[in-house]
Amino acid sequence: MTIKAVSVDVSIGEAQLLKDISLDVVPGEVLALVGPNGAGKSTFLSALAGDLILSRGQVFYNQCDLSKLSIQERSFYRSVMSQSQPMVFDFSVRNIVEMGWLHQGHGFYNAHFSLATQQVIEQCNITSLVERRFNTLSGGEQKRVHFARALLQLWLPEGSKECRYLLLDEPLANLDIAHELSMLNVIKQSASSGIGVLIVLHDLNLAAKFADKIALFDQGKIVRLGTPEQVLTEDSLSTVYGVPVTVAQTPLTISYY
Amino acid sequence: MDQEHSQPHYLSLKKLLFNMENSIAHRVFTSRFGSPKQTTIIVLLLMLLVVSALVASANGSFNLSFIDLILGKATTLQSIVMLEIRLPRVALSALVGASLGLSGAALQGLFRNPLADPGLIGVSAGAALGASIIIVISPAFLVNSFLGPFLLPLAGIFGAASVIFLLYLLTHGFGYQGVTYMLLVGIAVNAIAGVAIGVLTYISSDAELRTLTFWTMGSFGGVTWTLLTPALVIIFSAILYMLPAYRKLDLIQLGEVEASRLGVDVKKLKYRVILSSAAAVGASVALSGMIGFVGLVVPHLVRLLGGVNHNYLLPASAALGATLLVSADVLARLLIQPAELPIGLITSAIGSPFFLWLVFRLKKNDY
Repeated sequence: MTIKAVSVDVSIGEAQLLKDISLDVVPGEVLALVGPNGAGKSTFLSALAGDLILSRGQVFYNQCDLSKLSIQERSFYRSVMSQSQPMVFDFSVRNIVEMGWLHQGHGFYNAHFSLATQQVIEQCNITSLVERRFNTLSGGEQKRVHFARALLQLWLPEGSKECRYLLLDEPLANLDIAHELSMLNVIKQSASSGIGVLIVLHDLNLAAKFADKIALFDQGKIVRLGTPEQVLTEDSLSTVYGVPVTVAQTPLTISYY
Repeated sequence: MDQEHSQPHYLSLKKLLFNMENSIAHRVFTSRFGSPKQTTIIVLLLMLLVVSALVASANGSFNLSFIDLILGKATTLQSIVMLEIRLPRVALSALVGASLGLSGAALQGLFRNPLADPGLIGVSAGAALGASIIIVISPAFLVNSFLGPFLLPLAGIFGAASVIFLLYLLTHGFGYQGVTYMLLVGIAVNAIAGVAIGVLTYISSDAELRTLTFWTMGSFGGVTWTLLTPALVIIFSAILYMLPAYRKLDLIQLGEVEASRLGVDVKKLKYRVILSSAAAVGASVALSGMIGFVGLVVPHLVRLLGGVNHNYLLPASAALGATLLVSADVLARLLIQPAELPIGLITSAIGSPFFLWLVFRLKKNDY
């Protein structure tokens, strides 16, 4: 049970954005994608989410071919959080969070609705925001609300065995340090409850600290894949980023200046 | 089959109840029409609609009393006026109001654009053009056949759908960046349709084409059940088709990609909203001409009253639109008795200042 990408190519016009990428997102693990701007991390995330048409290769959700899953079926397997568009109309924060609830109209799931929303709201620490208008929130607060929505989309009652996946495209942008850490902790918790996490990160320190596995992207290819210690070496980082990087291991972080 | 028959009786009953819970009962009660406050607003609007319909059928240049009619005290003439003139008129104004209000709400939702209004973006003008062309060119045998009453609404729908399709092409599938574009296309289509309808009304001796005023400012007068019934069926089905899309319209507020990640088939939703609003607006305009600003003003009033979620917004916009046009039609008939004001004059008088206010509000980025 994984999300499996098998030799995926993506081209838009002349530009080949992804070249022969194979990668697995495994339930219970946090997989971080790192790499310079334009390396293809976000494109790969979109390809896994099913937003793009692949030029070559295949993506599987729990062994089902993604292209054969309906739009609705896909939404039960994975939720995605990426750069969001501004809201035109004045929804409340609660409205936005509740948009993640997929089970409208099923008696069984209606019974869980209040519990699930409450759990997610508390988990993401947005209780104080819930009754506010979404458009009055700051960029960072909006991020946390969208994150709560993404979690609600994957919510299942305790003990459910269905494998689900959380795909996050730079979820930490605009967040202060405290919320950065608390969001990463929630992500960790979700992973340990059996959700597979794919996260695009810019901060290599955080990637080293929180990810179980790291894939280092450069020019549409995976340069290295493995544990943080295997991937984040002075050698590989200096080559990929084109600036001299030193790695010093401290008990908590890897510094890279 | 045999297995099912051998089931104990209570089991099949339970199954039936469970299915009920999932379908009808759920839709009516558990999904609610938004919060309790929003449900109350919808109920109040519906009551207001009934009251205004009663007032509208009792008032006019001809004296009528509803109570007399029910008690059987009315003269034959009075009951004919009521059944053949007043009632179709009230039914038409209510249905047109509902379809304009609802289409406005749904189009604003789909385009994520608070200025989308069937009138402003040229959809009504397209419908008017379609209807007036068919009146001029359609041969007599077709009009007199059983298809006759359907011709006009269908032509209106065709005109409305063509304009929406044109908008779709020009705004690259209604992308968010298409706001300005859409309004500009609306201006152009309105102008083209205005010229075409003007020319048609002047070159045509056909009395059926009515006057330029009818097409540009609308009227509910002179409608008969024969002409009305097909349009009512079309409008009613369009409304019923549109209403259940409420949740998808909520989700598309997050953006098209986000909505599809949440399981919304965006393409299907677009077809659904476009088809049903083209049908509702097209059939409305074909019978009553262009009535401006209802589709713009009504959804905004409804949002101000109770919120922006579409399970409340759609039914409430339909109800308020209907109430508004039924009442405006009473005004149109009573203000300068025994003559009549064009209904669009009244709605534009209310709507255009509102539009200006909205533009100022948009400028301040309140939306």
